[in-house]
Amino acid sequence: MQTLTVTGPATLLYVLIGVTILLVATIAFRPSLTATRSGKQFAFVVYLLLPAVVASMGASEHMERSKQTQFCLSCHVMDPYGRSLHIDDPMYVPAAHFQNARIPREEACYTCHTDYVMYGSLRAKLRGLRHVYVQYFGTIPKTIELYNSYNNRECLHCHAGARSFEDGAVHGPLMASIKSNELSCLSSGCHASIHGVAHLSEMKFWEPK
Amino acid sequence: MTGTTGIERRLRISGILIALGLLVEGFSLIRVHPLAFLAFMLIGGALLIAGIGIYLYFIASASSPPG
Repeated sequence: MQTLTVTGPATLLYVLIGVTILLVATIAFRPSLTATRSGKQFAFVVYLLLPAVVASMGASEHMERSKQTQFCLSCHVMDPYGRSLHIDDPMYVPAAHFQNARIPREEACYTCHTDYVMYGSLRAKLRGLRHVYVQYFGTIPKTIELYNSYNNRECLHCHAGARSFEDGAVHGPLMASIKSNELSCLSSGCHASIHGVAHLSEMKFWEPK
Repeated sequence: MTGTTGIERRLRISGILIALGLLVEGFSLIRVHPLAFLAFMLIGGALLIAGIGIYLYFIASASSPPG
């Protein structure tokens, strides 16, 4: 389990939490402050508006953090998937993307496993909530599978429009089938080596310098 | 119990609940972990809602016309 360096918006949030607690404590232990009209207005701000602002900022911060690779890998069941990002073989798609920084390493899982559609991010987070529930209160399945077959849309979110991809000798002639999702990037045999968690014991791993 | 002490007690209880909720939410932000997220939502959120609820009930009942 890792701690996060407190910088940026999180610092503001910590300051706001501290100030709000101090103000709440002031009114709680000196209730006579609320005897006047302005005191009542002050109490309304401190007891209702400030906590609501802090809670919504905190929820937003937690949502952002839930995109982080270390968040996904903090559950034991995801360990093999984390290790698979270090497989020393460029045929393995997630490993090649991770090691060559084609995706942000700190958000590696989220980048490829969110749905790039309207409310896709929200859907991914609702699924994440279900995963948290299963992790602590449910039964973890022996084999982890995607909810639906992997959609080319997620690959095309980055690759579409790239000259080397669209005009390339291999992908160019197949572009219509790729974009219509008729020809799967992964399951049609083209990029079939994904996480390979069943074969990790036979793999060599990349050690970052 | 007089009215004044009742008001003070409600303000104090709701203030303590809100402060505790904020503390839990603050501590939950130290770690990047699903349990920290759950603590934020379930413990911190529940304490905040309880504290704000008591405060809102207090101001609603305090401003009600007699009879």
